Amino acid sequence: MDDFNDNEIARLLRLKRYEQPPPGYFENFLHEFHRRQRDELLRQPLWRICLERAHDFMLRLDVRSLASYPAAIAAVLVCAAVISLKIYQQPETVQVAVQNSPVLSAPANAEGELTLASPVTTRIFRTQPLRSFDESAQTHRAAAPPRYVLDSVPVSYEPTFRF
Amino acid sequence: MDKPRTDEDQELVSRTQSGDASAFDHLVIKYTPRLYGLVYNMTSNHEDTNDLLQDIFSKAYKAIRGFRGKSSFYTWIHSIAVNMTLNFLKKRGRRFQLSLDDVDASIQNDKEFMEATATSSPVREADLSELQRRLNEAVMKLSDEHRAVVTMFHIQGMPHAEISKILRVSEGTVRSRLFYANRQLQNYLDEFRKNPVS
Repeated sequence: MDDFNDNEIARLLRLKRYEQPPPGYFENFLHEFHRRQRDELLRQPLWRICLERAHDFMLRLDVRSLASYPAAIAAVLVCAAVISLKIYQQPETVQVAVQNSPVLSAPANAEGELTLASPVTTRIFRTQPLRSFDESAQTHRAAAPPRYVLDSVPVSYEPTFRF
Repeated sequence: MDKPRTDEDQELVSRTQSGDASAFDHLVIKYTPRLYGLVYNMTSNHEDTNDLLQDIFSKAYKAIRGFRGKSSFYTWIHSIAVNMTLNFLKKRGRRFQLSLDDVDASIQNDKEFMEATATSSPVREADLSELQRRLNEAVMKLSDEHRAVVTMFHIQGMPHAEISKILRVSEGTVRSRLFYANRQLQNYLDEFRKNPVS
């Protein structure tokens, strides 16, 4: 008996080309493919769909070269610089507001300094303090109108007056 | 099997990349029979083949925007198919089902089939059905990588160079795998001829 040689094996294997799926399989395959695609799309969470759309958009714009490491690092550094500037600027603006507050809280009954015109244009600012320390002390003793500016030293820390 | 025209494929790919989903449908229709043969002869199971084919085209559709045409679409889609099938086979283990029962009835009228049955030597001596069954058993005893090479070369008729591109190995590796697989198949079939009952 002869042994099988390469040609005979090759010929037998070639016969396997004729093994086919059930009739109509190839006709239905595309419909099945579309159905599965739809099902898969419906199963995906919204964030994933958005991510894929964004990814497709980026690919369409061909911005792959921009996404190289140097560009990415530069973008991160710029973002960090902007964020840090924003953070350090915020306390300064608060401080300015505090410093300006005594001027804005000037008593409304200051004589001669107010006119009927717009206060912004005609108000005269005085360089000397509006009230002396003694006047300030009196306000604590007498029934003073409510004050909205806190003193640097709380009232409770002031020495009690003895008569 | 003839290799499809690459310029036609390239046009369909470009249309798909620009958002024309119907162009991808043409690619699916064109490549389904070819990839079915590849995957089926590696898995030897129709249901597994169907699921894998769906996954292969789904993956290809998702990845096609990133396809830059460095290789032909033919090579690219075959690479996806082979890699996914090999991964599937690793997960599935050694379970397999023989494919002989699914041989299409039209094979009986095929010229090549009739020639094979009329040929002298071992084929004539053994019952062809039994021989085919043994051959399928022998093919399924090969490692997944060797079966992939045998399927692509002997069954699909691909040249060595194309197989090496698809598998991303050298042509020498393809030839050596093929040589080793042929020796193994010969041994299995010779054993069958010596002990036909076993």
